[in-house]
Amino acid sequence: MNQIISTHNLSKRYGDTYRVKSVNLTVNEGDIYGFLGPNGAGKSTTLKMILGLARPTDGKVTVFGKDLGANRRLILNQTGSLIESPSYYGHLTGLENMRVIQRLRDVPDKNVTEALKIVRLEKQKDKKVGQYSLGMKQRLGIAMALLSFPKLLVLDEPTNGLDPAGIGEIRELIKSLPQRYEMTVLISSHLLSEIEQMATSVGIINDGIMMFQGSMEVLKNKNRPTIMVKTQNNKLAQELLFQKGFSPTQHGDFLVFESLTDGQVAQANRNLVSANIDVLRIEEHKKNLESIFLDITGKERNLL
Amino acid sequence: MKAISLELYKLRHKHLFLMVTLFLTVEIAWAFMATSMSISHNPDNAGWEPLIAMLSSMNGLFLPILTAICVSRICDMEHKGNTWKLLLTVSIRRSTLYAAKYISTSIIMLVACLLQVLAITAFGIVNGFEQPVPLLLLIRFFIGTVLTNMIIIALQQWVSMAVKNQAFALSLGMVGGFIGMAADLLPLGVQRIFVWSYYTGLSPITQSYTNEKMQFIVRDLNSLLPMMVVLIAAGIGIYLAGCVHVSRQEV
Repeated sequence: MNQIISTHNLSKRYGDTYRVKSVNLTVNEGDIYGFLGPNGAGKSTTLKMILGLARPTDGKVTVFGKDLGANRRLILNQTGSLIESPSYYGHLTGLENMRVIQRLRDVPDKNVTEALKIVRLEKQKDKKVGQYSLGMKQRLGIAMALLSFPKLLVLDEPTNGLDPAGIGEIRELIKSLPQRYEMTVLISSHLLSEIEQMATSVGIINDGIMMFQGSMEVLKNKNRPTIMVKTQNNKLAQELLFQKGFSPTQHGDFLVFESLTDGQVAQANRNLVSANIDVLRIEEHKKNLESIFLDITGKERNLL
Repeated sequence: MKAISLELYKLRHKHLFLMVTLFLTVEIAWAFMATSMSISHNPDNAGWEPLIAMLSSMNGLFLPILTAICVSRICDMEHKGNTWKLLLTVSIRRSTLYAAKYISTSIIMLVACLLQVLAITAFGIVNGFEQPVPLLLLIRFFIGTVLTNMIIIALQQWVSMAVKNQAFALSLGMVGGFIGMAADLLPLGVQRIFVWSYYTGLSPITQSYTNEKMQFIVRDLNSLLPMMVVLIAAGIGIYLAGCVHVSRQEV
């Protein structure tokens, strides 16, 4: 699969502190890459460096197989983006704002009509953008990013300020882009639930360091249930179960088993009972993605 | 060209041309009223020289402020709407954007200067000045004003682009207006430091008091040329410094 974006040891330092440190991010063609991290983790800074808006202190960015530094204009011609808050001319109408980008991108009128239609702003296109709600401004920003129907779309927290219905709409739109327009999407968010529902690949960044990168499937696989067993004598139980081919670990008052089938749970229970070790509890613990994310990013943060 | 036409397109609904025209109307009306009063006190003043001198000194007060407002309005829309990122990610160069804004403002101020020249001509004809329309003097007045404007635009644009809060740029314009108005009262060496003093400094007419009477003297063009060259060099310096500084700022 073609790599659309790859960064190599990408770093950005402000003063003595690294906002982004040695990030190796890879986005493949046709991916919806969810770039997750708590507020202030370095997502926007990374995206800005990928778009050439900020100069890396160290490292390299390659987009469409070309070095960003040497081919910035060529790359940006095929990239649509929305970084942080939406950009707009408040004194111009929605349509006039689109016309400004149309002139810069040199695209036909039909792109303007289609992009406005996609974000459902065609009825408000003649209203001044200064009078738009935040959600409408955000949708206009997405329409501007879509205007040239680029190969790569970089969206930084695009659902900020949208109501639940708007978030759903944008989610469905983003999900449809790879198939409908053969786009690759890099989308950042601090909301796991949002990324979970649309991303095919995920990168998790925290304090400027990439903590996890892989497909959504791999992340979800971390979601396997564990079986926790409490007995009257855990030490004896552990020794016995080792002999029987199980590999429990001691965790507080419990013995913890990774990925057991129902039959194996029943077998372990039988073994313990027949050895006269009383089984006090058998519990199934299932980690949701939220707690996996919190584990990866360091638990204590309030993300939502 | 595309970038310049885009800048002019972005000025839609800003009523900038209307504002410039109204501002100029006030200035011209003031200058003409003052000249009319001067003529009624002393009919010898019914000539082109006092009229051009009057407008040159009025320009020292009005044009720095008008320029500051124009530049600020053209630059502020990028700050207000957070559009720097948008423009830079559609692969426009910052230096191109900087140049387009500079040229657009220069065009607007050029039109303003042209309006002044037309107004002077109309006033002279309506008031039945005896001498014919002094084309050469008017061209020299026009060039002097445009040139001074262009340097001030470069300075104002640097401030307006680099500092988001436009109060700084507008305050600079007002300080400039004050200096431009009071420039003739300053010693010549000090005058030359301030760019706003060149509305009167490059005016083809100079005033002097002899025997408690105001004399209007036509300046020799050759005496102004070195000053113009220095001013152009300073303008290029200010423009380039501003462009490089703004281009290096991170968005």
